[in-house]
Amino acid sequence: MTADARVVRWTAVGVGIALGVLIPAFLSNFLRSLASDAAIAGLIVLSLVVLTGLVGQISFCQYSFAAIGAFTVGSLVAGHHWEFWLALLVGVCFAAAVGVLVAIPALRLSGLFLAILTIGVALFFDRFLLAPGTWDSFSGGTSSWRPGRPSFFGIGLRGEYAFYLFVFGILLVACLLVWNLRTGKTGRVLRAVRESEVAASTVGLNLTAWKLTAFGISAALAGLAGGLSAVRVGSASAGSYDFLHSVIIAAIATVVGVGAITSAPVGGMFLLFVPEIMRAWTPFSTQWFPFVTGILLIFQLVYAPDGAVVDSERRIMRRLHPPAPPPTADDTATPERVLARTST
Amino acid sequence: MTGLLDLYDVSIRFGGVQALLDVSLHVRTGEIVGLIGPNGAGKTTLFNCITGVLRPDTGRITYDGRDLAGVKTHRRARLGIARTFQNLQLFGRMTVLENVMVPIDAFSPRTPVGDAFRLPTARFEERKAEERARALLYFLDLLDVAELQAADLAVGMQRRLELARALASNPDLLLLDEPAAGLDARETAELADVLFRIREQFGVTMLLVDHDMALVMRTCDHIYVLDFGRIISEGPPEHVRDDPQVIQAYLGEVA
Repeated sequence: MTADARVVRWTAVGVGIALGVLIPAFLSNFLRSLASDAAIAGLIVLSLVVLTGLVGQISFCQYSFAAIGAFTVGSLVAGHHWEFWLALLVGVCFAAAVGVLVAIPALRLSGLFLAILTIGVALFFDRFLLAPGTWDSFSGGTSSWRPGRPSFFGIGLRGEYAFYLFVFGILLVACLLVWNLRTGKTGRVLRAVRESEVAASTVGLNLTAWKLTAFGISAALAGLAGGLSAVRVGSASAGSYDFLHSVIIAAIATVVGVGAITSAPVGGMFLLFVPEIMRAWTPFSTQWFPFVTGILLIFQLVYAPDGAVVDSERRIMRRLHPPAPPPTADDTATPERVLARTST
Repeated sequence: MTGLLDLYDVSIRFGGVQALLDVSLHVRTGEIVGLIGPNGAGKTTLFNCITGVLRPDTGRITYDGRDLAGVKTHRRARLGIARTFQNLQLFGRMTVLENVMVPIDAFSPRTPVGDAFRLPTARFEERKAEERARALLYFLDLLDVAELQAADLAVGMQRRLELARALASNPDLLLLDEPAAGLDARETAELADVLFRIREQFGVTMLLVDHDMALVMRTCDHIYVLDFGRIISEGPPEHVRDDPQVIQAYLGEVA
């Protein structure tokens, strides 16, 4: 990447962060809480950036992992009076562990069959853990189950704006960590597994270990989202984590594109603010939101197969930094060139 | 007799097809051994048995005196076996540089935690991997295209990239599956030079499968001929070239 493109990229990131901090300061508390939810949903999109974007695996059960985080944090904080941070850590680890468990049968699957497996997992969660009886017996009934909001180094997070800044900060840190993963060995190795499993294993990569790692990281991010959402809402209803949510978030992640970190905040905002815009300013009710997403999905698959955010990023970068000329026809290693380069 | 790689009576069957039957083959350290035979003779199947992609029904494969039975593919790579693929298996939507860095990554002790927090060790290993990858690209004259996507290269360059990637894992034994497929006569001649250079500089032992008789005759110290899953002839190039059985297998019945 040229210096120019780098300056543009980091300026854009800086402006984005500044807007993310400043705009909610002028919004109503209701819209601030939506913004918090958007940041939380952004974490779920980020979990798909890891799983689908890097290693090419499909998942329709990200909200089931989120439910584990939400359930763990909620019951530990409200029921057992744990410190929020410790509960969150346990929730994230628990979600990651379940993610790895789910990945074990998924190891030999990919594409359609993997998708069906994850649908099975999501439906299992819907019918078992999220079923009213089970959910309430774990959480001690919805009425008594009210995890309070944590404080952050002594700063209370009861106010909607403070809480928003808190989850926004967590989203940014998570994005930074995933960015580092992507640009380091982990990202390279996972993409190699996606591109050719047979080649990846013959160069010495343990496919099993790396796929489990990817599922674990992805489920941990989803669990983190769930844990935050439990304290955002102050309760957790099973209906917020069902299969349909996982499908919608997968569709949105596809529309914005799983190939870019920026897709996480954009996808989160899409999920929360498009229905709100529809409700406030158009004659359509929010029930039309899946319909709108579906239409966009079709357009995206035809016109920007890698996703809207990924595609626009690429266009901007290409304008700033035209691609290198393609290799010329005379690209062969002439004996002279090879000998000149290899003689010691 | 034990060499670097030894196959003893290896057989494998797919349904009604006997793909390999009692194949014994020995590769000694430092040699370039050729494996030739008509299409469907079982050459790629043999490679898949050696790398652990397929498990032979009977027979034994030892590497450096160690029985490979039950050793997984990625463990075999760590023992020092690398390969290239007949139907190119590059990491297409990754850059040329990244393709060569992956095998180096596979051997590095970096963890996702180190990557996520950019620990000093991770940054050091990243630089080390990139430098080594660039040196290999330089060696194979691919440095100019290091930042291009592997899928965008011409076939000749993709074949060289497969070589670079295989060498990146620092192998002792290199299995080459039709490295000259899709190359013209000039490129094939260059390939032979490159193979000699690789042996000279890296001390790599090679098992070479190819249809191109000129390449095999020119580079190999010892040749095995496979036909319908059986070794029908073996020996130094001049012996194999004149073997009537080989001529028959390649050209059909000779009057």
